Amino acid sequence: MIETKGLKKSFGKLEVLKGIDAKIEPHEVVVVIGPSGSGKSTFLRCLNLLERPTAGEIYFAGKCITAPHTNVNEVRREMGMVFQQFNLFPHLTVLENITLGPIKVRRMPLEDARKVARELLKKVGISEKESAYPAELSGGQQQRVAIARALAMKPAAMLFDEPTSALDPEMIGEVLEVMKSLAREGMTMVVVTHEMGFAREVGHRVLFMDDGRIVEEGPPLKLLTSPKNPRTASFLSKVL
Amino acid sequence: MNLDFSIIPGVMPALLAGARLTVELATIAVAIGLVIGSFVGIARVGHVRIVRLLAGAYVDFIRGTPLLVQLFLVYFGLPSLIGRPVPPFVAAIAAMGINSGAYVAEIVRAGIQAIDRGQTEAARSLGLTAAQTMRYVIFPQAIRRIIPPLGNEFIALLKDSSLVSVIALEELLRKGQVVITRTFRPFEVYTVIAILYLIMTLAISKLVSWSERKLKIVD
Repeated sequence: MIETKGLKKSFGKLEVLKGIDAKIEPHEVVVVIGPSGSGKSTFLRCLNLLERPTAGEIYFAGKCITAPHTNVNEVRREMGMVFQQFNLFPHLTVLENITLGPIKVRRMPLEDARKVARELLKKVGISEKESAYPAELSGGQQQRVAIARALAMKPAAMLFDEPTSALDPEMIGEVLEVMKSLAREGMTMVVVTHEMGFAREVGHRVLFMDDGRIVEEGPPLKLLTSPKNPRTASFLSKVL
Repeated sequence: MNLDFSIIPGVMPALLAGARLTVELATIAVAIGLVIGSFVGIARVGHVRIVRLLAGAYVDFIRGTPLLVQLFLVYFGLPSLIGRPVPPFVAAIAAMGINSGAYVAEIVRAGIQAIDRGQTEAARSLGLTAAQTMRYVIFPQAIRRIIPPLGNEFIALLKDSSLVSVIALEELLRKGQVVITRTFRPFEVYTVIAILYLIMTLAISKLVSWSERKLKIVD
């Protein structure tokens, strides 16, 4: 579904990604872990071209999306993204947040878009808040709306950039629950997170990144309990 | 002390006619400024380099030169270029509108840049184009931040419109000068003129804080 070849990204003189080769299969849940500054968020943001790679290629659904003249908007509408800071649109209601993309990008009729939005709100468990503004919601509710907003575009894959890092501890569970049910439905997911429990429970594969490279990868249980690389071991000993 | 305000009622109609022209000038100029400023302000944060540079040059030129010089350029300078006179009213709104456009552009630019980057990223990651992102996500949020400084700009423009008295346009100040040549009561007339300006600017302030309340800031 998604494949990167020799993906590099520099910000000025700072090389953040130093050649990433990764492959994400359809319906796979890949969890990316690593210390802060290891490049995992940058890697994720390169996948939907929020960051322009400096070198290397990205293939999505068989097409090279790093080729010149690629329509980035067409790529992005097929990849949902969920951010650490939720990034809901504060001037729009919950329902309007969710319908904006389908209406403006997919040209979906308003009534259909609302119907889809209401189904998704039910799915993420906050149907009663459809007329609320983001500021009136808790962090956990905002993030669930953000997930619904991304899903409304009917994406082929979902990217999660530390979706629970900005949440109060008691709200992390409700967001992870939504993500777990998505995984169970077979959504292709790439998740940057510090939630090792989530990685173990729903991840099919874990990538450990350090210093702009994938240092180790493997099935969650194996990688989290018996890492081969000393850097992985050292990182895990600090977070587990 | 020799004060005589008894002449005022007799000259009030003339002064009010001048005040009316002042309001017209400022309103039309700010409307022109708003249109120019919105485009130029957005161009200043856009990603087309040449457009950004041109927009920047326009803002720098207007803000770096006196409005009076700009007015003279249009009223006295332009006719020699195009071969026919420019009517004072047209010269006045052109100079004021183009002048206002630069200040409004800066207000718009600052309003747009105050919106968190995450908003753009969220919108673009849904597949919205840059233009759709500006129209549906960034601008509606920026407008709330733009209104208060825009009110200040309107007030500044209304006061600066007194400059166009020098091209014989009979706005409030010019009317006053005409009235004084008849009544020989400069202190009384200028006092009334000052009060009229004050009433107009206070009214704008009220209008701005009212619209601010209407567009209550939610974030």
